[in-house]
Amino acid sequence: MDFGLSEQQEMLRKTARDFFKTELPKTLVKELAKEPKGYRPEMWKKMADLGWVGLVLPEQYGGSDASFLDLTILMEEMGRACAPGPFLSTVVLGALTVLELGTEEQKKAILPKLAKGEIVLTMAIAEPHAIYKPDFFEVEAKHAAHHYTVSGTKLFVTDAHVADYIVVATKTKGGVTLFLVDAKSPGVTCTLLPAMFGERQCEVKFDGVKLTRSDMLGGLNRGKDYLERVMHRAAVAKCSEVLGGLEYVLEISVQYAKDRVAFGKPIGTYQAIQHHCANMLNDLDSCRCMTRRAAWMVSEDLPCALEVSLAKAWMGQASRRITALGHEIHGAMAFQHDHDMHLFTKQAVVAEASFGSSAYHGEVVAKELGL
Amino acid sequence: MDFRITPEEEAFRKEVKEFLDKELPKDWPGVDPDLYHEDAFDNIHEVSLAMQKKLAAKEWLGLTWPKKYGGHEQPLWKQIILEEEMTYRGSPGLDPYQFVGGMGDLLLDFGTEAQRMKYLPMMVRGEIKGATGMSEPNAGSDLANIQLKAELQGDYFILNGQKTWQSAAHKADLEPVYVRTDPNLLKHRGISIILVELKKTPGITMRPLEMMSGLKAFNEVFYDNVKVPKENLLGEINGGWKIVMAALSHERAYGVMLLINIRRDIDLLVEYCKETKDVDGVPLSKNKMIRNRLADVAIQQEIARNVGYKLNHLALTGGNVVSTANTVKILGGVTTQRVAQVGMQIMGMYGQLGPVGGNWRQTDPVKDKWTRLGGRMKHLYLSTVCNTIAAGTTEVARNAAAGALGCPREPKPAPKK
Repeated sequence: MDFGLSEQQEMLRKTARDFFKTELPKTLVKELAKEPKGYRPEMWKKMADLGWVGLVLPEQYGGSDASFLDLTILMEEMGRACAPGPFLSTVVLGALTVLELGTEEQKKAILPKLAKGEIVLTMAIAEPHAIYKPDFFEVEAKHAAHHYTVSGTKLFVTDAHVADYIVVATKTKGGVTLFLVDAKSPGVTCTLLPAMFGERQCEVKFDGVKLTRSDMLGGLNRGKDYLERVMHRAAVAKCSEVLGGLEYVLEISVQYAKDRVAFGKPIGTYQAIQHHCANMLNDLDSCRCMTRRAAWMVSEDLPCALEVSLAKAWMGQASRRITALGHEIHGAMAFQHDHDMHLFTKQAVVAEASFGSSAYHGEVVAKELGL
Repeated sequence: MDFRITPEEEAFRKEVKEFLDKELPKDWPGVDPDLYHEDAFDNIHEVSLAMQKKLAAKEWLGLTWPKKYGGHEQPLWKQIILEEEMTYRGSPGLDPYQFVGGMGDLLLDFGTEAQRMKYLPMMVRGEIKGATGMSEPNAGSDLANIQLKAELQGDYFILNGQKTWQSAAHKADLEPVYVRTDPNLLKHRGISIILVELKKTPGITMRPLEMMSGLKAFNEVFYDNVKVPKENLLGEINGGWKIVMAALSHERAYGVMLLINIRRDIDLLVEYCKETKDVDGVPLSKNKMIRNRLADVAIQQEIARNVGYKLNHLALTGGNVVSTANTVKILGGVTTQRVAQVGMQIMGMYGQLGPVGGNWRQTDPVKDKWTRLGGRMKHLYLSTVCNTIAAGTTEVARNAAAGALGCPREPKPAPKK
C-alpha cells in the first residue's frame, strides 16, 4: 500500500495552490458569492488554459489524459480556495458522462469545446420529492412518433443558470434514461435559488421539451446504473473539495490560537484550545485517508460503493465537528462576514447534503455490512 | 497512491488464518486485544503459553529480527499481518510486551550486544513472558515523575520503591523497569531503564489489583532492596527518557490492535442482530435505529482502521510514525468505547450478563444460560473504559498533537530541586 502523492500530483497541487493564491483572494470569493453569475468567466478560461477543465479527458478531445485521482487532488485545492464556478458540474457530472456514454458524434461536439472552457455542462438528477432516488423520478420522457417529450421539474441543479447543456435523468417506460439537452431548447426554464453557499443551485423546469433519440446518452433505460457511478464520482469529488477546505480551516485556527492573546497568554497555550486543535487534526487526518482511498478506487474503476459511502458519511460528520471547533477557537471574530471561516462552514454543511447525506451513505454501509 | 494487496500478502494472511483455525481451541471467543484474560486466569494463560510455543515452532516470533539473535529476518509487512490476524481472533501468544513494539524492539535499538544475545533468543523460542514497568502511583500521565529509586553500589543497582497498574507483571519473567537514578537532575534527565528478571530476583513482592471488569490482571509491585546486576542497564545511565519516548512510539500497534479486535465485535453484533427477532417477529437488523447505530460504528471503525493502514505504510517506508500513531491511539480508544456503548444498547437488559469474574472457560450451565454473545458486551463495556487511558491518556495524546501543530507550550512551573 502506498498513501503518497506522485510527483505529478504534487506539482499539480502546487500549481493550483499558487494560482488560486494570486487569482482568488478570499475577498473576491465573498464578492463573487453576491453576484448572480457567481464566478468570473475570465478565470474559468484561465483554468481551462491550464488544462484543468479537460484534465481527465483523453488527448483526442483536447484533454490531458490524467486520472480521476489527479482530478481529486486538484479539487482539494479548489475547495481550499473556495473556488466558485461550474467545475464539478462541468467536469465530474457533465464531461465524464458524455465521455463514458456519448456517441463519437456527441463527444466530438461537446468535449473539445468543453476542455477549452467554451461551454459549461451540468446534470439534473434530484427532484423535489426524490432527491437521489431514481426509482421515484417524476420528470418523464414520453416517447411519441420520432421524438421524446420531457416534462417536469428538477431541483438542486448546480450551475444550470450558466450551463450550455444539461444532462437530464428522466423516467422512461421501463427505467431511467439520460438525455443531453441544449439549455436553450424551447421549454427549458431555469430559476436561480437563494442558496447558502457560493455554489449555485437552480430549479430547472422542462415543459414539453422535444428531444430525439440522438440526444440520448447511453441508450434507453441505462440511466439508473450509470447514476450510481455518477453518485460515486460526485460524492468523492465533494469530499475532496471539503477536505481541501478543512485543511485550510485547521491552519487558520491554529494560527489564530498562536496569535490571539487572552488572560495574558496566547489562547493556544490553554489545553481547552489545544484539544480543539488536536481533535480537528484527528478528524482531518481520518477524512484525508478515507477520501484518498475512495478516490483511488473510483480512479482504478474498482467496486467502491462501501469505500465511497464510508468517506462521504464520515466527511459529513467530521466536517461539521471541524468547522464547529474552528468557530469555537475564533470566537466572535469568525462570526463576522469579513472573516473567511464561514465560507468553509457553509461549504461543509452544503456538501454534507450533496450527493447523498451522511444518513444516505450510512444506509449503504448498513447494507454492505449485511444488515 | 496504491491500495492494492499483493498476492504474497494475501497468501501469508491465509497461512496465518489457517494456523489459527487449527491451533486455537474451537470455543475460543477471542475478546481481548490486551491480554487481560490470559493474565487473569490460569486455564486461559495455559492456552497463551501453548500458542507462544506453536508460534515459535512456526518461526513467527521475532519475525523481523536479525538471524544472529535467533530472529528470522522477514519483512515487516509479515509481522503486521500476523499481528492483525491474531488480534482479530483475540488469540494470545504474540506477547506485545516482547514482540509488538515491546522489549524486543528496545533491545534491538538500545541494548548491548550481550543483552541481545542473552534475551532475544529466549523470546524467539517462546520461553518467557514480558511486561513493562512504567506507571507509579504518582507517575501516570506525568510519567517523568517516576520515583522508584535505583542506586549503583559496586556491580549492582539497588532498587527501592513501587510500581502500580502493571498488567501481566505477575506472569512475567522479564521487564524493563523505569527508575530514577539521579534525583538531583531535572525530572526528565534522571531516568534510566533496568532490565529485571522478575521471577528470579529476590525482594520483589506483588499484590494483584482487581480491575473494574472483575479480572485480576493488574499488579502493584514493590521493590525492597532489589539487587540487579549493573550490566542490565538498558541504554545510558540517566538517558532513559529517550527510551521512554521510543517505547511509547513503538506502541504504534496498540491503537491498531484495538481497532482490529473491535471489528470482530461489530461483526458479531451484526450476526446477532440478523439472528435475533424482536417481539414483532422482525429481526433486529431491520430496525432502523439499530441499522443506523451499527453502520455508524462500522464507519468510525473503518475510517480509523484506514488511518491504521497509513500508520503501517509509514512504518514500512521508514516514515515518521509519531503523529499518526497518536491519531490512531486516540481513535482506537474512542471507537472501541463507542462500539461497546452501542453493543450494550442493542443487548438491552441482556447486556449486563456474562460469566462470573469474566472467565469464559468456566461458564455455568444454569447461571450463564441467558448470557448472550458469551457475555462479550459486558466485558467489552467494562474493559474499554481503559482504552482512552492505557498507553497514554487521550488527553496526553491530544496535548502531543497540539504540540506537533505548533500550539505554544504552557509555561513550565519552576524546576523542583
